[in-house]
Parts: sequence; structure tokens; C-alpha cells
Amino acid sequence: MQKVAASRRIQALAVSSLLALGVAGCGGDDAGGQSDDPIKIGSSLPLTGEFSQPGKAAEQGYEVWQAMVNEDGGLLGRDVEMVIKDDASNQNTIVADYNALISQDKVDLLIGSYSSLLNLPASSVAERNQMLFVEPAGGSPEMFSRGFKYLFFTQQATADKNSLVFAEWVANLPEGERPKTAAYPTIDDPFATPSVEGVRKVLEKAGVETVYRETYAIDTKNFDTIVNGMKAKSPELVVHGAVFEDGVGMVRSMLKADFKPKWLYQTTAPSLGAQYAKAVGPENTEGIMFAISHAPQAKTPGNEEFVAKYKEMFDGLPPEDAADGFAAGQVLQAAVEGVGSIDDQAALAEWLRDNPVETILGELKWNKDGSPIGEFLIGQWQGDGVEFVLPEEFATSDKLVQGWTPGGAGG
Amino acid sequence: MTQLIQNLILGLLLSGVYALVAGGLTLIFGVMRVINIAHGAFLILAAFITYSLWSALGIDPLLGILVTTPVIFAIGWVTYKTVAAPLRTAPMASTVLLTFGLALVLEAVMGTIWGNNSTAIRPGYGDESFTVAGLFLPKAQVYGGLVAVLVLLALGLILTRTWLGRAIRATSVNPDGAALVGIKVTAVAALVFALGIAAAGAGGAIVGVLYPFVPGAHYQWIARLLAIVVLGGMGSMRGAVLGALIFGVGETLTSAYVSPSWATAVPYAIVFVVLLIRPQGLLGTRLRADAVAA
Repeated sequence: MQKVAASRRIQALAVSSLLALGVAGCGGDDAGGQSDDPIKIGSSLPLTGEFSQPGKAAEQGYEVWQAMVNEDGGLLGRDVEMVIKDDASNQNTIVADYNALISQDKVDLLIGSYSSLLNLPASSVAERNQMLFVEPAGGSPEMFSRGFKYLFFTQQATADKNSLVFAEWVANLPEGERPKTAAYPTIDDPFATPSVEGVRKVLEKAGVETVYRETYAIDTKNFDTIVNGMKAKSPELVVHGAVFEDGVGMVRSMLKADFKPKWLYQTTAPSLGAQYAKAVGPENTEGIMFAISHAPQAKTPGNEEFVAKYKEMFDGLPPEDAADGFAAGQVLQAAVEGVGSIDDQAALAEWLRDNPVETILGELKWNKDGSPIGEFLIGQWQGDGVEFVLPEEFATSDKLVQGWTPGGAGG
Repeated sequence: MTQLIQNLILGLLLSGVYALVAGGLTLIFGVMRVINIAHGAFLILAAFITYSLWSALGIDPLLGILVTTPVIFAIGWVTYKTVAAPLRTAPMASTVLLTFGLALVLEAVMGTIWGNNSTAIRPGYGDESFTVAGLFLPKAQVYGGLVAVLVLLALGLILTRTWLGRAIRATSVNPDGAALVGIKVTAVAALVFALGIAAAGAGGAIVGVLYPFVPGAHYQWIARLLAIVVLGGMGSMRGAVLGALIFGVGETLTSAYVSPSWATAVPYAIVFVVLLIRPQGLLGTRLRADAVAA
């Protein structure tokens, strides 16, 4: 009886070993990077809904990166295949999407979404599944306060620091030129709010009086009352935490109310290039300032090739979010090539913690928590386009337009 | 004081547009007992059609209402005949589900035709204002408000002074009785559905001038519109206008005197309080059936 039992155990062991070998044989190719199958990289982007503007730009950036990598022989010798879902700018949908990418689409690698709002839940899914999460947007400090090990933000600075170059420039203006009062309206968004708060703290220290400070809900459409409230306080500088539509709505309401502060600084919205100019009127953009991560004319490694490929695929100059998407791809690529495998996602994360990466945004490097160490560029609308005015060593123009002059240029 | 008057004016101008669009929604509910979740999507569709007329043909967006409204009316009529007709006798929950599906289809169609890019209509007067006694009255809001009042008046005249209006009201109060006296209830329902959608169409043209929009913007609009209609009393045109006034002025005053972050929440809180006291809404009628259900 014992013999029979032992024989059955051996049979079972043999069968399990064979199965295990079979599974290992099938899976080994995928994991070890020896298969000819493409490496699948999954993302969910806001291709529809409130954030569709930047979401579609990020998708273009991913597509350009995919095309360039594949033309160049692929990643570890394998083609790259992007699997992109549409989260409709919805926090619940993005969680379902990333879970599906991992469990149903069985992607090899993940890449992030657009905005802190969406990357907050998406990065949790990646962390739970112990997968590297390189995000092209999502610089809210909240992202990096959770002790995540697999999260990396591939722009130069987090939201609270992204407008510091501008804030310090204003603070250091000669006293006669420095604005005496400032207003800080901001959308209730995990990126825009800390960005505006960062500026406010620096300027208050420099003696710029805060005369208006309000946060509005994300679905706010009508900005007339907010503008009326600001106008009553006559600030010389408005620092507006905006995403896109609210940035456009605020400028249009300011024009309607004939409220034209000397300086206008907005987060994100003005960086969306032609779309922004078209929405607020090209003649109304002159002098508007904003933080931006990428300049099409920058001399960073690979930037010229990226801009040329973007023009070939999509026509026109790449918007910032497309460049950020591309840079996220570059960071992922550097980690994979640095480690030489996609087997061990913890090793990929460790490699990024230890190594800087050259991207079209410049050299990126990270703190232990995945937040970047660097500073943004400050752009300004001048004439029909954007010039990069700060920091001075990266400036693309000698001129800095002295204030917002709507109706004055463009068109 | 000047600030208060300024904010009240801004609130009233906003209310005009709310009233126009909510009027169409409540009309459809009054006659068909259909909660049209796709109403916001028709509003955005009209905004996109207006955009095309303005950008391709140079037609002024508010004058374009003369084209947009009949087009949206026709789309509404076809939608009724193909999709909504079976809903007349369906349970309320089915109407919500089906019209929600319709909204998703419309969003996808808009995304395919116009793309999921933020779109803005900027006529010459879009960023200008009238200045009266130190107060600014945005021209687009003033024109939009006037158009909204005109369309609402026309709708009111149709409802109260025409045979069609009597037929609509009869169908709304008692469909079986209306059929008994010779009213073609299904034809009236089709017309009402199309009229309600056309009101959203006129509103969409105005909204397109006032705010940037994307295909997915309809979610925000339908949430507001439903709250306005419920506040005023579902099925009541006067209630919709009153609800829109409270909502528009409430939003503006909250933004100015409490905080912009509460501007969208406070009007909903008002709806909540009103419903606690008057479950049928401000001007709604409580039916025997409601009392039985309660």
C-alpha cells in the first residue's frame, strides 16, 4: 500500500515537474527577453473627458517614442508594443484599466498617465503589483509621500517646486519693478494647488502682499465671479493654478471684465501651445508666463530627432505633454537597457534610483522616493509663439516682455 | 453694494442659459416621464455644430441658433422614433439607463467627428463687455441671456396659446384622457421630445460661446440640469426657470461671498434642503401615486 502511495507521489511529482518546466519554458522567453514577441508596455490615458487635451498629447509622445525605438532595433532587441486604454479622465476607470493591463493584457511594463489626479490611484495599482511606474506627469508632492518604491516622475521637479524659478525671479526684481500685490486663484488639483502655494510662500517672504487666495472646484465653468473678486482687489500679479479649460476660461473672463493685471502667470494651460492660443485668442497671449519642462528648440540629447519625428508623424511642433511622454519612454528604456532585462522590476527601480538619465528634457535624476531633483524652465508667450526666458542660461530669447499685454501681439 | 449688484447681474445672466436648457429637460419629463440623461450630450452636440458653422462658414454663433435648433430638433425627432419611443411605457429606471447609453454614444460620435480636443467659439464680442454705471455686463452673456429669454417665451407661447400646447399639456396630465379626445399621444410625445432637445440645442450654441467644451463635458451639465429640474419640480416649466434662477444666483453669490470651492456644492445643498421640505420640488405637483409610493 505504501509502495502504491509512493509511486503515485512520484508520478504526481513528475507530472508537476513537467508542467512546471513547460510553464517555465513558455514564460521564460517573455521574462528573459529572448523571445521575438514585442515587449508590451501598458498605459491608460485621459483620451476623452476633461484632461483629453494633454492626454492625447502624451499619447502622441508615447507613439513617437515607440516608433523611434522600433526603428532603432527595439528594446533588448524586441519591438515595443504600446497598449493604451482611455480612462476618460476618471479616477475609477484608471484603476480598472491598470488592473486590466496587468491581469488581462499581461503587459511586461507599465508607463504612467497624465495628471497627479489620475496617477495617484494608478501608481497604487502598480505598487501593489510591484511593477515599475514611470510617470510623465503627476508631480504633486502627495505622490511621493506614500513611501512607494516603484514610482518615478520624469519631469524636472515636483509641483511645489515647479514654479520656484519664476517666484524667485519676481522676488529678486528691483523693488520698484516688483509687484506689490498678488492674487492666487487655483483649481482644486493635486498638481496646480501646491505649485501656486510654492510661489505664494516665496513671494510673501519677499514682501508681496497676498490680496486674493481662493481654490475653485474642478468642474467650475464660470469664472466671472472669481475675476470680479480679484478685480476688486487690483492685484499687480495673478498666479493662476490652471489645467487647461479653466486657464482659458479665466483669461477670457479677465478680458470681459477688463481686468488686466501687470503680470499673469498660469500653470500648465499656456504650455499647450497652439491650442491655448486658439482658445484665448493669439492676440491675448502676449507676456503670459508659465513653467514648462520642454523646449522644442532645446539642445538636449535626442531633442532634434524627437521634434523631427513628431513633425513627420503629427505635423507641427510637439506640445509639452508629448515631450514629457517621450521622456518617460526614454527613462523606461534607460532602466531596461541598464539592467539588461525586464524580469526584475525592483532592479529596474533600483537602477533609476542610482543612475541619472539623459532625456530630451535634460538630465533627470531622482530622490529615494522617486521625486525628481531639478528645476523647470519658465516660458513666456512672445509674438506668435513661446520663448524660454528663465533660467537665463537656458533662455531662448534675450527679451522678457514686461508684463501681460492682451490685444498686443500674436494673431 | 456695487459688488453685490455686479454679482447678482452675473448670476442672473448665468441663470438664463440654465433655464433654457433645463426647460427642455423638464418638458420631456413632464410629457413622457423620461429622465433624459442624454440632454447634456445634445447640448454639447449643438455647441460643436455651432462651432463648425462659425469656423467653416463664419456664421455668428448666436445667429447660428436659427440653423442649429432645427438641426437638433430633427436629430431629436429621429432619436425619438428610433430609440426613445419604446420608453414611453417603460419603467423610469430603464429610461435612465437607455438615455445614459445614448449619451455615451453621442460622446463617442462627437469625439470621432470633432476630436477630443477642447474647443472654444470666440466671436468678436466673446471677450467684450458693456459697461453701465461701473458695472460690466459681458456681451456674450447678455446676448445669450436675451436669446434664452426669447426661446423660453416662444416655448411658453407654444405651450399656452396653441393647439399643440394644449395637446402637450393634456398628454402630460392624462395621456389616456388625451387619447380619448382625439390627441395622437405618440405624435405629441415625438414633438415634445424633439422640442425639448431643440431647447438644449439653442442652449448649446450659447454655452459654446461662453465656455470651452469637450465631448465629455456633458456629464457636468446633466448633473446641474437634473438638480435644477428637481429643485423646481420635475415636469414644471416655471419650476425649471425658478430652479435655474436659484442655482445660477446661488452659484455666483457663493463663489463671491463664501468661496469658489463651495460654488458648485452650495446649490446642491439648497436642492437637498428644499426636497426635505417639499419632496415634489418648489413648483412640482405631488400626485396621488407619489403619496401611495411614499
